[in-house]
Amino acid sequence: MTKTNDLAVKVASKPKKRKDKRSFKSWLASAVMCGPITIWSVLFIILPILLLAFMSFMTKGPLGRVVYKFTLDNYKEIFKPVYFTVIKQSVIIATWTTVLTVLMGYPLAAFIANVKKKTSGVLTVLLMLPLWVSGLVILYSFVIMLNKTGVINTVLMNLHIIDKPLNMLYNNFAVIVGMLYMFLPFAVLPMYSSIEKLDKGLIEASKDLGAGPVKTFFKVTLPLTAPGIFAAVILTFIPCIGYYMVTDMLGGGTNMMVGNLIHRQFTISRNWPFGAALAMVLAVVIFIMLFVYTKLGGDLDDLGA
Amino acid sequence: MKFKKILAVMMTAVMAIGCLGGCGSSKKNSGKVDSINILVWEGTWSEEAFQDFEDETGIKVNVSYIDNTDTILSKLVEGSADYDVIDLETAYVKSFIDNDLLAKLDSSELDNKKNIIDNFPSPIGDDKMEYVCPDLAPGYTGIVYNKETCPIEITKFEDLADPKLKGQVAMINSTISLYGMALQALGYKADSKDEKEIEEANELLKKIKKNVKAFVGESAVSQLENGECSVAFCWDYMQLCMDSKDNWDKFDIVDVATGCERFTQYWAVPKSSEKLEAAEKFINFMLRPEEMAKCYTENGGIPLLKQEVIEKLLPEGYYDNPAIEKYKTLDKNAWCVAVNDEQISLMDTYYTELMGNE
Repeated sequence: MTKTNDLAVKVASKPKKRKDKRSFKSWLASAVMCGPITIWSVLFIILPILLLAFMSFMTKGPLGRVVYKFTLDNYKEIFKPVYFTVIKQSVIIATWTTVLTVLMGYPLAAFIANVKKKTSGVLTVLLMLPLWVSGLVILYSFVIMLNKTGVINTVLMNLHIIDKPLNMLYNNFAVIVGMLYMFLPFAVLPMYSSIEKLDKGLIEASKDLGAGPVKTFFKVTLPLTAPGIFAAVILTFIPCIGYYMVTDMLGGGTNMMVGNLIHRQFTISRNWPFGAALAMVLAVVIFIMLFVYTKLGGDLDDLGA
Repeated sequence: MKFKKILAVMMTAVMAIGCLGGCGSSKKNSGKVDSINILVWEGTWSEEAFQDFEDETGIKVNVSYIDNTDTILSKLVEGSADYDVIDLETAYVKSFIDNDLLAKLDSSELDNKKNIIDNFPSPIGDDKMEYVCPDLAPGYTGIVYNKETCPIEITKFEDLADPKLKGQVAMINSTISLYGMALQALGYKADSKDEKEIEEANELLKKIKKNVKAFVGESAVSQLENGECSVAFCWDYMQLCMDSKDNWDKFDIVDVATGCERFTQYWAVPKSSEKLEAAEKFINFMLRPEEMAKCYTENGGIPLLKQEVIEKLLPEGYYDNPAIEKYKTLDKNAWCVAVNDEQISLMDTYYTELMGNE
């Protein structure tokens, strides 16, 4: 080896050292910026999910203890007709809620998107107000309003509009009212964002080309706002499938939903491994839905992910 | 430079271990006890009584409230609990003792037990009450009805399936209470583990479910009081009578021939507690007539203590409450079961089927 070679090595190594120092600094900066949220996510999201997945393969022991013995029985159990009925019921309720919420939410979103900027801001805040209050408080207020001696019946009776109290609680009507109220903001916001972004010139062009309002809506507006509708469907259906408070408190709890079933396994039944398996299946279903959503061109950012 | 990095890593590790160490709990208790942790049911006890205990003994009482016994069970079984006194339901006493979760109590430290009414029922699994001490008088799960609006005369559990009651029944969703009552009604034992018998009970409950307007988790008081339901299978008769004197003539509880479920609460000390002496002191303190009177004045309830020692401390006319006499009648036929894993598992599968049924 010659002197020239040594020099070449020295020259080559110098910038590398600087690069190392830079990359360490940038790594440190990233670590400081992302560290807390990463630690938080690992500790409170990823680890619990892994723990749940692990537990779902374990065995139930006496007094609800978890025995660390591998089994697939918890997953086999889910396919029993009795549990399948519960899952079917949850899907039906979630589907109805989603359809109604989107159908009612779309005109509202269009209205908010088409009023003055200042008014739309106020309306958006009003729409989000229910999200600031605990769901339980909202549902209790519905019970107070809808029961036989509640506010609505009392007012109608005092005004002599009705002779006897209306049956408004513990039935499908109460469930639909409660579900719509709880999930409407989740559906309206993505649709509002989509409608607001719509190029008004395209609607004008459609009109200029002779299309009426109905044709313009179905041929131009609806296809262009479809991503917002899809996001609304996902944002409503996913939380709704596990949400059992409305059916319990306003519907009388006469039908069990997946959420109830999971809750019971961790409390009354004391079968944590089976509860974990049910929760994992629900999580997998949600992941599949999100996967399909992204494959069809949906943007996870629209869902707040 | 390298040394500094190593030092930084080591310090971070030490701090992390220190932080995580704080998550654990120290059970060491040498010398004076300055606090006890108790786990009790909400809406039953008086904060003032706890304060009196703190003032007299200097021992701080940290109170946690529960709304079902499964919460205590989960916490104790998983070893994450650090309680010194718990308020345990009769059905769970046997399981807790069998699984070595309770400490034996020293009777000589509980001299206020002498104030408790005579012939107080012992829980299954602790006939001599060595592990538990009564804290409340028994309650009963039964059929409560509105005398003005109930369209039929109810004499037995099966009557709840009468089509005339369609949309008028409220029911608690406790598996043991529902299946226990149905099994008893069919002439079987409430603690049956026979799948055929439980299936029969399930069929009866399916018929009754057609009339059910609401299944409730804790209380059916609001459904009865606001007129949504004229009948309820619940444990709230006492509460209704405490809520308003108007309810005394309005509601009644059926004394069914096959009996009602009796539930009783007991004080117990988890074996994991190292403050047994302070815990016993607390239990004995709470059995004083003046402290119990504070709890009843605040929350209502059938007095656990003998009438002669507590009546003078209660509001005037407290014993006029019809629930007090009614409960004495119900006790004659009352039944009670001890929670059993096998039975719970079986009943719960049927319960899921029942609730999945349209």
